[in-house]
Amino acid sequence: MRDKLLFLIGAVAFGLLFKDIYVMTTLPPEVNQGAIFKIIFFHVPMAITALTCALVAFGASVTFLITKNFKADALAVAVTEVGLAFLAGNLITGSIWGRVIWGVWWAWDARLTSALVCWLLYAGYLMLRRAIEEPTQRATFAAVFSIFAFIDVPIVIFSIKWWRTQHPQPVFWAGGSFPAEWYPTFGWNMLAMMLLCVVLTSVRLRQEEFQREIDGLRRMAHAL
Amino acid sequence: MYALLLQSADDITREVARLDRNYAFLSYGLIVAWLLLVLYVLLMVARERKLKREIESLKAMLEPPASTSSASRQSQTR
Repeated sequence: MRDKLLFLIGAVAFGLLFKDIYVMTTLPPEVNQGAIFKIIFFHVPMAITALTCALVAFGASVTFLITKNFKADALAVAVTEVGLAFLAGNLITGSIWGRVIWGVWWAWDARLTSALVCWLLYAGYLMLRRAIEEPTQRATFAAVFSIFAFIDVPIVIFSIKWWRTQHPQPVFWAGGSFPAEWYPTFGWNMLAMMLLCVVLTSVRLRQEEFQREIDGLRRMAHAL
Repeated sequence: MYALLLQSADDITREVARLDRNYAFLSYGLIVAWLLLVLYVLLMVARERKLKREIESLKAMLEPPASTSSASRQSQTR
């Protein structure tokens, strides 16, 4: 039942993404930047999804430290890995966008650098987990690391407000240049990314359950 | 007048080139985003298969062989 539901949600998410690509081709180019501006339909939803994943990982890590419930630890690792994939997508699409508009693939400004640091921190979190064998110690160290890594998330979000950056200000509010007729497509793409994130996290969470089962079976095998 | 026409023709050519470049980079971006998602899904599927295989092999290792268990049962009844 759970598998069927996940498959259904995944199919809906992919269907929405395909539909939005078709809709994107029918939209006129943006006035200032032209067609490349449409990359925003993937760039921004990927960033929002990734940072939401970081928030969930933060909550799960705090929960683990309080309750010592390994389900919270499993959720933290699942959501961190999925968020890392979305953040990678955000960085790469942003780099391609920057190449057209700024003429360079990368600029060491506050937004881009803090986002890269965020990616490296969460990649470090996954590497830390691999380095520690004992499950309770691994989960505790990883939870503390995840809480510290989360400090970078508000820096990523507010960097464009706090410092002068090459990265533009938000285009969605305060007189931003995002065309009003693009909002529905953007909203659908945002929903699709979130659904995809839920499906991938659920699948990853199940893999963590498998891993715990394997650990238990290995302990039994050693005891024999 | 002729110079003006030439200039505008150049402008049009430049603008067409800019639009082409824009579309090319937009398609690169979309391809990369999709590839990344598809690759991650494939990675997940491969990992799940590996984990299931590992569980099966561990369970098979922990289960006593059928012949041995029946033999031990027979010896106990004697």
